[in-house]
Amino acid sequence: MFKLVMWSLVHVLVAFLLTTTSFASPESEAEAFFQRNDAGGHTNNWAVLVCASRYWFNYRHMANALGMYRTVKRLGIPDSNIILMLADDVSCNARNKFPGAVFANSGHNGAERLDLYGENIEVDYRGYEVTVENFIRLLTGRVDPSVPPSKRLLTDSSSNVFIYMTGHGGNEFLKFQDNEEISAFDVADALEQMWQKNRYNEVFFMIDTCQANTMYSKIYSPNVLATGSSELSENSYSYENDNDIGVSVIDSFTHHVLQFMEGINKTSHASMQDLFHTYTFESIRSHAGVRSDLFRRPLDKTKITDFFGGVAQAGTVPPVSEDEEIEATNITDLEGSASSGAGSYGAVLEDFASSEHAFGAWSPSRAWGAVAVLVVGCGVVFSLSCQI
Amino acid sequence: MKLLAFCFGLFAVVRAHDEEFREHLHLRHLDDGRVSALFSFTTLLKDTAPRSPLSIGEDDIPQHYTLFPLALGQVLREHAVTEVHLTLNAGKWDYTRWGYPEDPAVATGAELWAWMGESPSISIDERWKGLRNSLAGLFCASLGSLDEMRTTSPMYSFRPEGSLPLFNQTHKLRHALLPSEHVCTENLTPFVKLLPCKTSTGIASLLNPHRLFDADWHGMGVHVKWDPKTGISVQLNFQTVLDPVRHSSRGQRVDFSLKTLFDREIPKACPVAADSVIDVFMAEGEYNIVAPGPSIMEGELAKFIVPELPMPLDIAVRWPGEASNLFMNVLQYSNHAPASKQNSHPTNIEVLRTLTGATQSYGKLHVEVKNNLDSDVDVIYVETMPWLVQFYIHTLKLSVDGKERQDLLKHFSYKPSEAHGRPMLFEGVLTVPAKSTVRLTLDVLKSFLRYTEHQPDAQRGWDLPPAVFIPITNNNSSEGRILRRLYTPAVLVDLATPDFSMPYNVIIMSSTLIALIFGSVFNLLTRKFVALPVEGPSESEPSTGTK
Repeated sequence: MFKLVMWSLVHVLVAFLLTTTSFASPESEAEAFFQRNDAGGHTNNWAVLVCASRYWFNYRHMANALGMYRTVKRLGIPDSNIILMLADDVSCNARNKFPGAVFANSGHNGAERLDLYGENIEVDYRGYEVTVENFIRLLTGRVDPSVPPSKRLLTDSSSNVFIYMTGHGGNEFLKFQDNEEISAFDVADALEQMWQKNRYNEVFFMIDTCQANTMYSKIYSPNVLATGSSELSENSYSYENDNDIGVSVIDSFTHHVLQFMEGINKTSHASMQDLFHTYTFESIRSHAGVRSDLFRRPLDKTKITDFFGGVAQAGTVPPVSEDEEIEATNITDLEGSASSGAGSYGAVLEDFASSEHAFGAWSPSRAWGAVAVLVVGCGVVFSLSCQI
Repeated sequence: MKLLAFCFGLFAVVRAHDEEFREHLHLRHLDDGRVSALFSFTTLLKDTAPRSPLSIGEDDIPQHYTLFPLALGQVLREHAVTEVHLTLNAGKWDYTRWGYPEDPAVATGAELWAWMGESPSISIDERWKGLRNSLAGLFCASLGSLDEMRTTSPMYSFRPEGSLPLFNQTHKLRHALLPSEHVCTENLTPFVKLLPCKTSTGIASLLNPHRLFDADWHGMGVHVKWDPKTGISVQLNFQTVLDPVRHSSRGQRVDFSLKTLFDREIPKACPVAADSVIDVFMAEGEYNIVAPGPSIMEGELAKFIVPELPMPLDIAVRWPGEASNLFMNVLQYSNHAPASKQNSHPTNIEVLRTLTGATQSYGKLHVEVKNNLDSDVDVIYVETMPWLVQFYIHTLKLSVDGKERQDLLKHFSYKPSEAHGRPMLFEGVLTVPAKSTVRLTLDVLKSFLRYTEHQPDAQRGWDLPPAVFIPITNNNSSEGRILRRLYTPAVLVDLATPDFSMPYNVIIMSSTLIALIFGSVFNLLTRKFVALPVEGPSESEPSTGTK
């Protein structure tokens, strides 16, 4: 009897080992693929860009958010994955000398101004809709059923989210529309809710206000990397004024980051560490900070395009006999506007041939083989036990 | 055989439609040197009817469109909307200088109205909410705030412009106005994405946001109608009044061309457009339409059939020599206009509305309606006012030339506003005698808002929606023209604004006082002074630094 039990146990163990170790499950294959080269495991990118200030004299805050918008679009995140919140309309404001255009650099010394508004822009939350409540609802996903999909953050557990906020702020708060405030605790709790609901893989939180570093000091959720423009009791300054527009057009910290990003394209391997190493007091005029204790990957292995761009992990697979050939496709831009990268994901192609875990014809036969072994084993065991 | 049956079955399930797309640009030179341009893109979905509201809740039949915009079509079918009109305008349409607009919906800000059939499973208000939020997401406009504070259900005005299908359910109207809405490139981007040719070919390639949003008046409109004979039509309009004098390079001239107005030329005709026509309406006077010449001349209308003309297409209109150089300002120009023009009025009815009152609790609404015709005209006067400003209807006074004429308001329907709820709706039929001005005054009460109800920029004031005047065709009149509806400009009302820092001040002050009072009393009551032996001088205390 004892021998019988031992023999059946050995059988079950052999069958079990055969099923699990001889090949990996599709889920773990996929996970291993997306985490190659320390990629971090994200499959899609989202950006939430918030300008929380209203009025014409806060033109630079609008320009900050629009500069980031243009950058993330250029690097491949499509409009459907960008939530842009602008608390006021400066582009078509009656005071704007250049209607339909927002500039982030002045026209000093005949320099050419770069129009950030362009002809292909989608602002999801505008004017009075930019409120603390709407922002927190957006992040946590607790929106009214009538809210349209373009105003929702439809992220999942493998999304990398880039959250950028700009406006007037202070010690652990940010002012929304000169009317209400969001505190660092609110942001931290919203991110925790996102984590609990599996709404992000990694978050990069960037903030450009006065005393910005205090805003990320209360975050306690994992996989969050944060950077801010100035320390406690320190102001953040604007970069330059424009005499034709009449107000400051960009903030120093955002200007610095955007200058760095001008050298980045979709195939760039520059890391977040490279960006953070360029922070100096002389160029930003305040002490910019970084918080990486909650972030599990090393910063020199984390690519800029993991957060700022919509760069996908893609690989070639040897053609399978019963299926058609797998081709890499690029979504073409219907409008034909070259300035925006809307609708096209860049792909980093890697050679898959050397991989041991080839998808294909062996796994189904191995699975059936293991099942057959189990069935035979159990049948023998039962027949023997019935005889006793 | 099996394959054939399968294909047949597939075709039966999926409905392919016959569609037609037409584009049209109408340019009109105005008396004060400006140019009014109307872009009109119409997509017709032939032989289809709007979705029956009885089928909401069930799965919809898949719709296959080639030219008809899918995003808009899905929104319409989701909420079973028969007719919807959405306009987003900025500026003030000056009827006295520019006459009637081709598209009459010129309310400042956003205007949305829809006719929907009743459904047993879901209420009209729920579908109205869904419709305005879907359109808000589609057009990047904040239409979600057209909630019960701004929505009314007029009974006599805003009749359907198309037909309403008989679903054995009555149709209801919902109308809302949001005058504080801004219009900018983010509204134009999705508008253009609804067109088959986008901005790469055809007339839509002239839609340059840097020029359109620089105009004296601009507005975009989406009009969806159903006609049983033809089908569902979606008309996308962009109307604008541009000033060529401001952009003219050779001094202040009224000459204009597509290049000077829009900074663009048409590179190629849209291949899927059944019709692609540019009309230039020229009133009397000497002018030159520079090459290419018009395809057809119909009286004062020069028609250009775009696919037949050489590309890239630029149509220019020039006045010879002196006539265009004399433009210095509007007054001077109108002095040189032909005598017959100076006496004519661009519109038959002129309206004016102002809100006066120096206090922040009471005010007076003044409305003036001027009739330029030789016969009496009946006008429907529609006023939808949010609950912030309440009318005292019993103080309504009508006068013509100083004489009181209460008989001029024949019938009216009045639905008072609810505080913190629905707006007031006033619809009345005013008879305006020939060649006279009717003055209407009304006392209003300005509300005192709760602290949380103020807008973030509270000191600016609240925009009040425009009043609408719809002249009714007078069958007795000799002219018998169809008179189109008129909008007054939006009015800004200043309501009493509190000092928003007061709650903070009160909390700080009272907390400080309580802390001081409690602290002092507590110390007085409980502190005991005890003598302590003090040792000789020992190590110095570390200085307390600032943290």
